[in-house]
Amino acid sequence: MAQVTAPVIDVTELTRRFDSKTALDSVTLSLPRGAVYGLVGANGAGKTTLIKHILGLLRAQSGSVRVFGLDPVADPVGVLSHIGYLSEENDLPGWMRVDELIRFSRAFYPAWDDGYAEELRQSFALDPAAKIKNLSKGQKARMGLLIALAYRPDLLVLDEPSSGLDPIVRRDILGAIIRTIAHEGRTVLFSSHLLEEVEQVADHVTMINHGKIVLSAPLEDIRESHRVDGRVPSLDEIFVARVGMSPAAAEE
Amino acid sequence: MLGVITYLIVLAGIKLVVIAHGTPIYLDSPESFAFVVMVPLTASFTYFLALFTFGLDGDLAARQSMFPARRFTLPLTTTALAGWPMLYGSVAIVLLWLALRTFALWPAGVELPTIWPALLAVSLLAWTQALTWMPYPLPGLRIIMAVLCLGTIDTTALLALHFHARGSLMIGIVAPQIPLAYIVGRIAVARARRGELPDWRGGFVRVAHIADALSHRREHFRSAASAQAWYEWRRYGSSLPAWVGILLPFELVLLWVAGDSTSLVFTILAGVLLTPPFVATFAAAAVSNSSSSASDSYVVTAFIATRPLTNAELVAAKLRMAMRSTVVAWLLVLVSIPIALKFSGTSAIVLDRWHRVGEIVGMPRAVVLSLLILAGCIALTWTQLVQSLYIGLTGRASLIKGSVFLVLGFFFLFGPFAEWIIDSRRLGEVWSALPLIFAVLVGLKMIAAVWIGVRLHDRHLVSDRTLVTGAACWSLAVFALYGVLIWLLDTPHIPHYLLMLIAILAIPLARLSAAPLALAWNRHR
Repeated sequence: MAQVTAPVIDVTELTRRFDSKTALDSVTLSLPRGAVYGLVGANGAGKTTLIKHILGLLRAQSGSVRVFGLDPVADPVGVLSHIGYLSEENDLPGWMRVDELIRFSRAFYPAWDDGYAEELRQSFALDPAAKIKNLSKGQKARMGLLIALAYRPDLLVLDEPSSGLDPIVRRDILGAIIRTIAHEGRTVLFSSHLLEEVEQVADHVTMINHGKIVLSAPLEDIRESHRVDGRVPSLDEIFVARVGMSPAAAEE
Repeated sequence: MLGVITYLIVLAGIKLVVIAHGTPIYLDSPESFAFVVMVPLTASFTYFLALFTFGLDGDLAARQSMFPARRFTLPLTTTALAGWPMLYGSVAIVLLWLALRTFALWPAGVELPTIWPALLAVSLLAWTQALTWMPYPLPGLRIIMAVLCLGTIDTTALLALHFHARGSLMIGIVAPQIPLAYIVGRIAVARARRGELPDWRGGFVRVAHIADALSHRREHFRSAASAQAWYEWRRYGSSLPAWVGILLPFELVLLWVAGDSTSLVFTILAGVLLTPPFVATFAAAAVSNSSSSASDSYVVTAFIATRPLTNAELVAAKLRMAMRSTVVAWLLVLVSIPIALKFSGTSAIVLDRWHRVGEIVGMPRAVVLSLLILAGCIALTWTQLVQSLYIGLTGRASLIKGSVFLVLGFFFLFGPFAEWIIDSRRLGEVWSALPLIFAVLVGLKMIAAVWIGVRLHDRHLVSDRTLVTGAACWSLAVFALYGVLIWLLDTPHIPHYLLMLIAILAIPLARLSAAPLALAWNRHR
């Protein structure tokens, strides 16, 4: 692990192109430890591309990415062993059983907490003998959440985790974020187009549009700076004011 | 199709042009004809079977129909859904046969009938389509049905040929099978479209429970590496042993009909021994696939890419799985051969030959030779499984598909080239040039290995210690093989440096070392 004082995520002048399309355009972002960061934007804005760079799944074409002070491409073990990751795609292996996936995941993380994993499994009502492929979408999301949380990672990365899920599962996910930050010094990066969710838990919001960061500041500062006639606008209204349309509307 | 026809036209053109200039290429012997024409044609026919059955996208062993489910929503009748792919396939197969008949058989002066072989090819395709699209009550039943059904069609045709059946009789035997296959194909698609999936697994509950209990992991893993190796084993490891297990009974049952024919017994045994490396060639496609899903994407999934393991550790897990898979497949072979020999009554023939070889070369030498052949076959199986990792792990569809076409192209060109060498009496020159050819190949291999080693080092994909250990192990294996070759081929006709070159070429190095580079290219895009 690198210096304790270094930001958890440090992205500098990151640019990424897919053929002629610029997915990320000179993105610079620095996230200190111990807060919940909401990354908001419409589909195709660049949220997932940014997160994939943070996980080392994409190599920086120009600029640099450091997580815990390390390059996630050069040192995947050093970075990934401290990250819990849950994505919208949730590509858990369908042939595994719940208990097998728990044992499998446990082997990769020395800090795995068996008691916490069992507590999460029970609270999420996951049958240990059930095959992953037979779980509902919500149960799969809970399973993904379990294996992302059970080793109490220093950084929890959630990429559109509640997309297409029912309110109860979304509540579980938000609860997980709150539980994670209850542990001192842990950090959450949470991407979503559902701004009311981000508003509930985020300390800091980064708005991204067409691969560019249009706004990045603490949520309270954003609200204060957009106060109109004494009324504090919602995050959705602020996003519309900045980008021209709501991310949820852009989804549709 | 165009590629195959072009190949045949080029072949016929070369043949005619060269004949015109007075140095003909003889394709008239069965061996040379098979080499130049039948091998590429068989490869093309097999590809057509896979293509027109949609077998490239599905799981052959699954109970579900392999007909693409997305097509069921098309506003078409079931007859049209099943009929058009069958018709397209039939037309393509007939065109393939006509191309062969026109451009390869005719210039080669081989006389074969036109109609019934085309009907036989169409029948084989139509039955394969029908059997592939049918939903089955048990996993693996599709493969058994296909082997039995296609084997029966082939055997019937071969028996008819053996007894010199007339063309009209052959047509009478083959032609009725085509409409029958079309009807079965239509029924199969109709059942799949209605979602019918019979399930007889209830009758095998006890077996299923045992299999489940055996495969269900209940203990904790010792390390992340062992967990990843288990994952690879569960995902891909059983393919090779399962296929070998399916094929072995069909091969070994031939020992019962071999009777006292020593040559037939040993031919069957050679076929059995070559089965694992042969099957491994096909199983390698699954092993080298970096995507854990059954989709046609080659990109490594986020689930695997975000494991806190190095690229070298992820590749090592695949290598360990391949080793385990090879051992299980060979255990099946080594257990079943003595049993089959004993109960078929052919063990006496094998023992008699064994004693005679022992008398000629000496028993210790015979034992060592046998063990070496066995070890060579096992090593070949493992090599076949892992040698394409460096392509498959790149996750680039164009590279993966391109490499397949390159290999096919190599075989297409190799045939005529080898034929030219043999026919133009240049074998002696080739033999003399072998040391130079091998030296060039060794040079290329070493340059590739150094290039890969430097990149592995620069990108920190492999530790210095691992690099040095790997190089030392490889050198040790080369010297061990060199020693064995000197001991085996102790003749003044083969210089020792040639044996050293062979040993260097035989032990895998560059392609295996490139696997972590390929995975890194895929994992960190």
